[in-house]
Amino acid sequence: MKLQGRPALGVVLAAALFGCGLFAPKPAWLLPPPPIYDGPVVEAGKLHRATLENGLHVIVLENHRLPRVALGVAVRRGAASDPIDRAGLATFTAEVMERGAGDRDAFAFAQAVDGIGASFDVSADWDSMSVTLSGLSWDFDRLFSLLGDATLRPRFDKAEAERARAEQIASLESQKDDPGTLAKVHFAQLLYPDHRFGRPLAGTPEAVATFDAAAARQFHRQNFVASNAILFVAGDVHADDFVSRARQVFGAWPGGEAPPLPPPPPPVVPGERRIVIVDRPELGQAQIVLGHQGIARTTPTRFSDTLMNNVLGGGGFSSRLMESVRADAGLTYSVGSSFSLRRAPGPFAVSTFTRVPESRRVIDLVLQQLEHMKQDPPSESELRDAKSETAGGFALGFETSEAIVAALVGIDVQGLPENALDTYRANIRAVTTADTAASARDRLHPEGAGIVIVGPGAALAPALQGMGPVVVEKP
Amino acid sequence: MLLPALGAGVARAASFQDPAQALQSTTLRNGLTVLTLVDRSTPVVSLQMWVKVGSKDETRYTGLAHLFEHMMFKGSLHIPPEQHAQLLERRGARVNAYTTNDVTVFHEDVTPDTLPLAIDLEAERVANLDISEKTLTSERQVVLEERRLRTEDNPEGRLLEALFALSFVAHPYRWPVIGWRSDVEAVGVEQCREFFKTFYAPNNIVLVLVGNFDADKALRHIDRVFGRLAPVAEIPRNPTKEPEQRGERRSVVVFDVHSPTVAAAWHAPAAGHPDGPALDVAGQILSSGRSSRLYRRLVYQEQQALAAQGGYWEMKEAGLFFAYASVRPDGSTDRSEALLEDEVRKLRSEPVSDEELGKAKNQLQVDLVNDLATTQALAGRIGEDFVTFGRVRSLEERLSALGAVTQADVQRVATTYLGDDKRSVVRLVSPAGAAPKAKAPERGTRSAPARRSKP
Repeated sequence: MKLQGRPALGVVLAAALFGCGLFAPKPAWLLPPPPIYDGPVVEAGKLHRATLENGLHVIVLENHRLPRVALGVAVRRGAASDPIDRAGLATFTAEVMERGAGDRDAFAFAQAVDGIGASFDVSADWDSMSVTLSGLSWDFDRLFSLLGDATLRPRFDKAEAERARAEQIASLESQKDDPGTLAKVHFAQLLYPDHRFGRPLAGTPEAVATFDAAAARQFHRQNFVASNAILFVAGDVHADDFVSRARQVFGAWPGGEAPPLPPPPPPVVPGERRIVIVDRPELGQAQIVLGHQGIARTTPTRFSDTLMNNVLGGGGFSSRLMESVRADAGLTYSVGSSFSLRRAPGPFAVSTFTRVPESRRVIDLVLQQLEHMKQDPPSESELRDAKSETAGGFALGFETSEAIVAALVGIDVQGLPENALDTYRANIRAVTTADTAASARDRLHPEGAGIVIVGPGAALAPALQGMGPVVVEKP
Repeated sequence: MLLPALGAGVARAASFQDPAQALQSTTLRNGLTVLTLVDRSTPVVSLQMWVKVGSKDETRYTGLAHLFEHMMFKGSLHIPPEQHAQLLERRGARVNAYTTNDVTVFHEDVTPDTLPLAIDLEAERVANLDISEKTLTSERQVVLEERRLRTEDNPEGRLLEALFALSFVAHPYRWPVIGWRSDVEAVGVEQCREFFKTFYAPNNIVLVLVGNFDADKALRHIDRVFGRLAPVAEIPRNPTKEPEQRGERRSVVVFDVHSPTVAAAWHAPAAGHPDGPALDVAGQILSSGRSSRLYRRLVYQEQQALAAQGGYWEMKEAGLFFAYASVRPDGSTDRSEALLEDEVRKLRSEPVSDEELGKAKNQLQVDLVNDLATTQALAGRIGEDFVTFGRVRSLEERLSALGAVTQADVQRVATTYLGDDKRSVVRLVSPAGAAPKAKAPERGTRSAPARRSKP
């Protein structure tokens, strides 16, 4: 291989130095790709599972490379369980749980965490809530005792609940300053007007204003029961020791009964296209989100659906959307599509942004690409690339033991089988072009897409004429 | 190694190996440095190409270093535009790049069998980059969209841009990494080509490889494909130093926000200064965790801010110490600024407590250990140290410098650097909040160092 415009002397010297002859090997891009890396996700003997008498699941993943440990408790209910008129209750409960537990009030608890350089968080997602602590392994005793207190004995002090409520409302208000967030909020509202998914994860200011300490205490009592929970740890611990400690700290936790699963959203009825402009007159760039209801985490066609989406807009710099909207036309810095995989069907959304005068062109391009995917679904080579990207990237995602444990907890709370990580790559490999064609046909509905654009309404409304009924909303 | 007992009164010593101990440095005859660290316990290899050029090295067109980082993905003699990233992504690799005031970094996380491809592709674009009018025209628009996203339509970006422009009057750190809009619009193919020739030379590049790979094989490969590049005789650098600030500076940015922000910055030493660890400790005491001073005072007790933090931000040629508060929609900007000012004054006027000092050190120690957890973070630490100091500091060295910080040190650096007459203050307020009031006081900043730009 000859490199143009560079002296050949270096080649000769390098070749002589290493004695590998004058003919340099072909560059790697001309060689067939190696088989996809397919090593086990977890090294044999490192992962341990147990179930205590009260039904608490325990997951331990040992890794002694560094003196670090990350542990937590997750419960299998989250913000999707908020009643729609109480949207934000799971987030509020999590926030109050962070403010004092056991013998320690909010400040004392924070000092106990910060004093050892640890991190502590209680959070709510759609399908789960979790209490997590991480730090150095020689502080394990303190970390474990803090975890027990925060999970089992949060104080729910009245004054803390009032502070948390005011902060949550202020934070929801200030999120309106971010055009991207604003677009997502209005998009969810457009898709799910009467379902919990149509309100932000952290709720609405109106709903949050009704919360108090008693509401948080009750939400905690209902959802934090042992039979609904998983205790997990990754890092520099020993499984036997951890399980016996777990019995000491969590053994007396009542098993209880998990509350019923929340109702899923009504099934998709592809209707007519609806357009919402969120008026932000000062913006020079329009934020665009468009899409419709997608699939659940357990939908049987999910492997094919996500591979189809990888070709469309899920694959980094390589997707059809990136190619057409960014690389060829220079109309955006980023464009992507995704299925939000929850226990119940979440949205399928394409998100992007562009300078205001090009908004219509970008929306048209995106809709064309969706239509094009239905007419001209992934080719053999596109599917091959999507598979190798997905399966190849799988190993990279599990570099740390925390990441592996987080994935194991995730498949549990979303109702996937315990071996879902082990079978993932085989499931990806089994997908055919007929499958991805069916995914494109069944999962994409550009004609009935909801479209949200955040930007100056006066400029955007005329540009969107003829696309469908347009509503202009305030942020 | 033995971690020193840092926490006041708490025995926290334990032994473990600094994974970076086994780092090897190799210099090719053309001046290219290769740093390799093998760790067989991970399924990943990180390859990072650190080019010693950032926005500080720009002369006529600001934003050129960053725009150029984008152009590195736009094709070369043997690789069509976009294919660099696509070839790697097809094998599951994570590919990206970023530009700062000081450096441009191209990074790839790959599975071990993809490392040869990553090395060949890096060498190809450094050897044979093809900058055309066509690709520049479309990529310029991409960068302008990035600028709108991160700065022009983004309150935080607006504020940071204003804070740097206010703090630095002379040093090239005064302009944004992404550049001023008019420069990005005006720069042409010829200037890009010149920039490439000037800075993308092997003696201005450091390759860092960390993770699961065969070091001898990789070095032979790198020597074969990078070894033939010609070095340049001299790499020009801007000579300008920042003159001493004499008196407070203030500015106001008006933007349509629910949540105003106040931000302040003080000049602080460049990376590697002996006062660095004490400034880090001061930042930690102000900001880290819910027992920290700014959270406690502004967010919790007075309920004025959604977030309030401060910290030391070191760059190669200068540093800044910053403090900011994101004011609640129902809070007062004036009050938030007064509280920030008061907390910084306290650092100067009274020693921090024993407990706070121990806590800050423990937090920083955990951060250092956490940075060893992934090959990407570890490669980042190695690259950053090497391009800044010409060597990689051991964990032990960093921990012992941290361990040596005393209460008197924290007070001394606060007094030396954080004076009221040495600060620059920016307020970001809504049009309604900008209406003149009787004597508006000022103080404050915005979120932590986000002065990176991705392709």
